[in-house]
Amino acid sequence: MSHTDESALAAERTGTAQRLASAVVGVGLVTFVLSLLSVARILTEETTLLGVGLYDFLALGALAMGVGVVVLGVGSRTGAFETNPDDTPGLVTAALFGVGAFVVAGLVASQTLGLGTLGWFALAAVSFVVALFAVALTPEDIGSTLPAGGVAVGAAALVLGDVLAPGFAWEPVGFSATFTGAMVAPLVLAVATLVASWAAAKAYEGYGSRGRQTGAYLLVGINAVGILTVLAGLLAFIALKGVGPATQGFSLVPFEWPFVTNGYSYQPDIVNGVYPAIVGTVWLVVGAVITGVPVAVAAALFLTEYAEQGRFVGAVEIATNGLWSTPSVVYGLFGYAFLVPRLGGSTSLVSGMLVLGFMLMPLCLITSREAIKAVPDEYRDASAALGVSQWETIRSVVLPAALPGVLTGVILGVGRIAGETAPILLVMAGGLRDDAPDVLGSFEFTSAAPYVANDALLQSAPALPYQLYATITAGVSAENAAEFGWATAFVLLVVVLSFYAIGIASRIYFRRRLNA
Amino acid sequence: MTDSSLFDRDARVRRVVESDRDVAALFAVGGVCLLAAFVMFVLDSTMAVVPLVGFVAATGYGWFAHQAETARALTFLGTVSTVVVLGLITVYVFLEAWPVLQLMGVRLFGFTDPITVFGVTLLPGVESYWSTSEHVYSLIPMIWGTFVTTVIATLIAAPLGIAAALFLAEIAPPLVRETVKPAVEILAGIPSIVYGYLGFVTLNTFLFTNLEMANLGSLFLVGLVIGLMALPTVVSVADDALTSVPASMRDGAIAMGCTEWQTMKSITLPAALSGVSAAVLLGIGRAVGETMAATVILGHSQRLPDPLQDVFDNTETLTSLIASQYGNADGLHMNALFTAGVVLFVTVLILSVGARRVEIRMERKLGGGE
Repeated sequence: MSHTDESALAAERTGTAQRLASAVVGVGLVTFVLSLLSVARILTEETTLLGVGLYDFLALGALAMGVGVVVLGVGSRTGAFETNPDDTPGLVTAALFGVGAFVVAGLVASQTLGLGTLGWFALAAVSFVVALFAVALTPEDIGSTLPAGGVAVGAAALVLGDVLAPGFAWEPVGFSATFTGAMVAPLVLAVATLVASWAAAKAYEGYGSRGRQTGAYLLVGINAVGILTVLAGLLAFIALKGVGPATQGFSLVPFEWPFVTNGYSYQPDIVNGVYPAIVGTVWLVVGAVITGVPVAVAAALFLTEYAEQGRFVGAVEIATNGLWSTPSVVYGLFGYAFLVPRLGGSTSLVSGMLVLGFMLMPLCLITSREAIKAVPDEYRDASAALGVSQWETIRSVVLPAALPGVLTGVILGVGRIAGETAPILLVMAGGLRDDAPDVLGSFEFTSAAPYVANDALLQSAPALPYQLYATITAGVSAENAAEFGWATAFVLLVVVLSFYAIGIASRIYFRRRLNA
Repeated sequence: MTDSSLFDRDARVRRVVESDRDVAALFAVGGVCLLAAFVMFVLDSTMAVVPLVGFVAATGYGWFAHQAETARALTFLGTVSTVVVLGLITVYVFLEAWPVLQLMGVRLFGFTDPITVFGVTLLPGVESYWSTSEHVYSLIPMIWGTFVTTVIATLIAAPLGIAAALFLAEIAPPLVRETVKPAVEILAGIPSIVYGYLGFVTLNTFLFTNLEMANLGSLFLVGLVIGLMALPTVVSVADDALTSVPASMRDGAIAMGCTEWQTMKSITLPAALSGVSAAVLLGIGRAVGETMAATVILGHSQRLPDPLQDVFDNTETLTSLIASQYGNADGLHMNALFTAGVVLFVTVLILSVGARRVEIRMERKLGGGE
């Protein structure tokens, strides 16, 4: 008995329904990706696939999916396929189809039929209610496949029937944009294929709670892959555009890398580079670390080791969170109002350092505090049991144990501030130039207070993120401004993301060691 | 014998008392010096360097003579300075904004038409929204711009980000999770100016040609870019919230025969709801304060979109107002920019306090649930 059950189950796994459902999902994924590529205009309506225009090809795919999904649903209802559907697809599914019906009916009524607000709203509301109840009151297999199939077939019909042809143009009243068929058709097809794929995924597992899980996993998975693809594509795009100009004239022996070692000389025959900006960014980071990190670590130590939970600690926590979330441009305003007049009266490197140091403070404080908290109390107890004083314990036990965590926080914080543009916009500025700021060589003693002066610190200095902004606003030497910008963006990205990568890698490493 | 031991104890007591006095004196000197240096710096005196040197000297002496006490005092100073920095930011941004706050009053949020209810003017109108020559500054167009871009960004980042976090925390196999999570965290570090450059050079023209828009740059594109930018942050924080739900809660549901998806929907997500909302609030905070992408993409006109819902119009946000006008602003005009800063600062502070509240509630709930 049990044996036959098992073989029946095994047979069902590869039954017709499963094969059909997988085929629909497969076609769906391909159509979906191609549709999105068409929305991004990487593929256009002029592309032909297998002798058919791209949009018609996609529509045919959607049509096949729609028919397949309907077959899956009807087959399950008539008993041709072994399934175990619930009584209803569920209220959420019904409501989503209802919203879809509302949007479609509303758009058709207002844009195509030209009804007034009251007219289209009434029609849309009626469609919503009808769709909601129609879906909610039918059994799950019919209720989720027929509407989904309908959506796919409908979208396909619109495109194949040349209603949504590339020539289609919709200019909604009150928006200064025109939606052309070239953009709208693939977008509609992408949505339709997604809906049909979801229905097919449900059918694959024979509906029921397992079917719903498969359907949901499909959508969640597509979303996750999509996000990663878009972000990775973005990085790849910048790398693609930036690597060429950034490595112009690069050679290993003898070592030459003009883009990184040259300044911006405004001379046609010399490769313009970002060396001053790199040096400026390094100095900014050094200054910010010197200002922000000691204060942050000290505060973290006080909060975890000395202070009792109370009103003062609560106030500090609020202040830290406030500082953490304060928009960077507000830091810039603050620097402009407070630091700039007191530090030489003009935009300067030292103001930039201090503002970024203030920004770094809350970032480091939060991570350092976590790191110090994570040091097990046994360490402290063991040290105290040996008669070691509290400060000695902190210095020789707690701090060394927390050091990796603190360092990780510093690295991540530095990554964040190194890419900040908005604050230095107001307090440092500093455009494209040929020579790097010489901070160490500019110290000199003066007879009047403050007795030490440093011209390089009190002048504007270039920095990578600001330089990228400057290429946009100043539109540097028009000829290859875009290329110079891409290359700068690439270098900036490499610098910032390396900080992040190192910080995150070290965090993973130390966390693993702590848990081992 | 007894004498000497008595003498010994006396000496020790005296030494302790002396040391205590020494420390107190040291703290007094150091504290006064630092305070003096701070006050002089605030008063814009270059002589601030003198007391600062005094403070450094006192600290140096303290470090060698009374290390424990000095260290404790220094950590305390560090803690106080975080509060001081926030205080300074608040005071100085408000101070600079004050002239315009005084000049405009509630008309800072005024429309071109006064708002009247039953003949009573609730909100007097302004002649124009933003006129530097007539010194009329109403922030309404910028607030609307920030609102629209934030809503668009949230609509993108919140649902997609939470779904992706669900995938990472609950569905993905361990190997995928261990590679993708750090990757997402690294992606959260892409500087906003890079997004801005991309938007300015590529996306602006793309939308301009393909949507046949009237102008380069639109609130819609800014919202889109900011949403994309906030995505990794939302994913990462929401993922942390989801993984912090105790496994025992999940196991209970699985043991009752629920599918994993049902468990996620009805156990994990509701349990992590506060943490996930905190993630979304953080994302919104970042979207509100995002400067460079908006500055670079938008065309900067200080008016309301016409009609209001036209997200493809090319107006202004609070942040881009500051970043685009600071260069040629002085006097009242500059003060007006600071009012934009005040609005930003207050909004984000409220969001941050809200997020923190929600987080505390989550910690308490999960702690009590165990």
